Amino acid sequence: MESSILESIGSEMIGVMSPVSICMLLVVLLVYTLSSSSSSSDAAIRTAANLVYQETSTDSPTEKLEGALLNALVFVIFITLITFLLVVLYYYNFTNFLKNYMRFSTFFVLGTMGGSIFLSIIQHFSIPVDSITCFLLLFNFTVVGVLSVFSEGMPIVLRQGYMVCLGVIVATWFTKLPEWTTWVLLVALAIYDLVAVLAPGGPLKLLVELASSRDEELPALVYEARPTVSQNERSGRSGLRLLVGGVSETRSVELQALSRGSADGSENHGNLEYTAADVENVEHERNSEVERLPLVGHLFREGFLSSDGSSCEYSTVVDNRENEIVVEEMSPLVDMMELGDEREQGGRRDGRENDIIVDKGIKLGLGDFVFYSVLVGRAAMYDLMTVYACYLAIISGLGCTLILLVVCGRALPALPNFYHSGNPILLLNSVVNGAFCCWDSNKPVNVLIFSEKLHCQRNTDDFVVDGFVNIVERIST
Amino acid sequence: MTVAAGIGYALLALGPSLSLFISVIAKKPFLILTVLASTLLWLISLIVLSGVWRAFLPLKSTTWWPYAILIITSVGFQEGLRVLLWKAYKRLEDILDAFADRVSKPRLFLTDKMQIALAGGLGHGVAHAVFFCLSLLTPAFGPATFFVDRCAQIPFFLVSAQIALAFVTIHTFSMVIAFNGYAQGNKVDQYFVPAIHLVAGMVTLVNFASGGCVIGIPILYLVAVLTLIHCGKMVFRRLTENRSRQGNFQ
Repeated sequence: MESSILESIGSEMIGVMSPVSICMLLVVLLVYTLSSSSSSSDAAIRTAANLVYQETSTDSPTEKLEGALLNALVFVIFITLITFLLVVLYYYNFTNFLKNYMRFSTFFVLGTMGGSIFLSIIQHFSIPVDSITCFLLLFNFTVVGVLSVFSEGMPIVLRQGYMVCLGVIVATWFTKLPEWTTWVLLVALAIYDLVAVLAPGGPLKLLVELASSRDEELPALVYEARPTVSQNERSGRSGLRLLVGGVSETRSVELQALSRGSADGSENHGNLEYTAADVENVEHERNSEVERLPLVGHLFREGFLSSDGSSCEYSTVVDNRENEIVVEEMSPLVDMMELGDEREQGGRRDGRENDIIVDKGIKLGLGDFVFYSVLVGRAAMYDLMTVYACYLAIISGLGCTLILLVVCGRALPALPNFYHSGNPILLLNSVVNGAFCCWDSNKPVNVLIFSEKLHCQRNTDDFVVDGFVNIVERIST
Repeated sequence: MTVAAGIGYALLALGPSLSLFISVIAKKPFLILTVLASTLLWLISLIVLSGVWRAFLPLKSTTWWPYAILIITSVGFQEGLRVLLWKAYKRLEDILDAFADRVSKPRLFLTDKMQIALAGGLGHGVAHAVFFCLSLLTPAFGPATFFVDRCAQIPFFLVSAQIALAFVTIHTFSMVIAFNGYAQGNKVDQYFVPAIHLVAGMVTLVNFASGGCVIGIPILYLVAVLTLIHCGKMVFRRLTENRSRQGNFQ
């Protein structure tokens, strides 16, 4: 029996959502365990995010708010300057410098911030480790992390794991910021993100446009949702992928057989490439065709993007001269769309920092990992139900962003009006909502309101006990 | 409640849905998205309802009828949402079918449709259990447990876990029943679901009486089992019908 489309749709979204979920879960666990035990070690940290104002609990709310606003302003200006600096460096082709800088910062983050988090974990669980072993382990961990960031030879799982790790570490670190500063900072960063990505001349927009016009990878820390191949394999592989990806499904079977045949001969590599190039041409013609398809197609084709998980039912193994390459039967139109997207969509992405579609699947900027996880981690300090609500809001916001990524990137005449009006609002709502449900619980009063809401709802169709509300409140305080 | 007990209660409430999730849902990314969407929808319904009822709460009276009104409005609202969910699902089904045609894959099978309904119901159920059971468990770790005067026989957390399990079951499978009822225009199924939901909600009012939980929980489980049996019979009927129809084609 043929498999239904249910198995393949949405796998790309899950491919992005699951690492984000893992990251958030880890941050929540870390914050939950560490903050409950050692309130004494909550020594205020001093970073770029609170240069101006150091929050103390005795300050009045207005003082806190003003200080937090100042902090956020300084931080955003700081980030803007750095990003422009990156753009300038990238513009003048200092790519190697940038990569090395990224490696250095990875080393720094993993070594010092990660180290301090490890230390507090060791203290909390009183794990018996001597300092030399600990140092060696940490050093190994760090070095492998640095190597995995930009080098090609590393398994993609390792790189993805380290990206999540970096996100967790930075986010856990940021949850140590004072309360008000965190919230104002999150809102400010969301606004900054919108401006930097969407406004003409926004630094991130410039950066991404530059990268896509040069057809290079962005020299930044981004999470790649799909396994990629190492550089030396890439030429053959991408050719094959184009070959398979460029034709409609019925024909692709023949072409796969053909490619297998030609790959068997040891001399035919160039030939294969030639065919691939041919298909590429066809593909560009087809691009226009793709554009005319109604929204829905795009929407769900986007769901097909990953196609290395469940949708590779038709995978065929090609014995190439160099390597054994598994050619995935991708959903036929996806590759084209990705290629087309690269140029058209690069700059016009909506939402967050580095959600980019390039020819290797969706990438998500590490900043988003941090951004989400800080939100959730901060919420974990109050109430796990808030975390749950936040998580749902964030994930739905992420889903909307991913859909928007495909929808907004191109002019779609067949687009229903609903999507025009509905989706951006939805996106904003979910972002705001995500911030809001946590913001609600920010102040103790609101925590009460929130939990009251839950209590009253609890009464609505469940177990109703007298004095129940009081009891739970007594337990939780 | 110790950590072990807490995990035990959580598994009691969510274990069946967890195994359902792993065995059926997790393999198909689209179903995961459905679960998330339906969880979010339930959460929104919770927030809207609590926002509306915020003005009247907490109810100080010792009589049961204000709570009954509360339950009736809540169930009514959620059943209204179910109809909306059905309409949205209907559009989604058309879109999916059109897409399947375009990539020349088979359209949605009957089992696929049922799985989508199951995922939708599971989302509702899990959201319910998380808010009505896990939310009680998480702040209460420590070396003791808690009993309520009105139900001195069973620890309070165990009661809440049991009730959550019953409601998860009801939510999960009543969605399958409802979607099939709407799809076939079967009036009995369409009214069966709100009725079951309302009855289950009302049965919890029995807990008001002293020692009521001894009676209330078995009745609640009776309702849950009834839902399960109804759902099983209906799914079996539809599958056999479907198979015989396919047999006729060939």
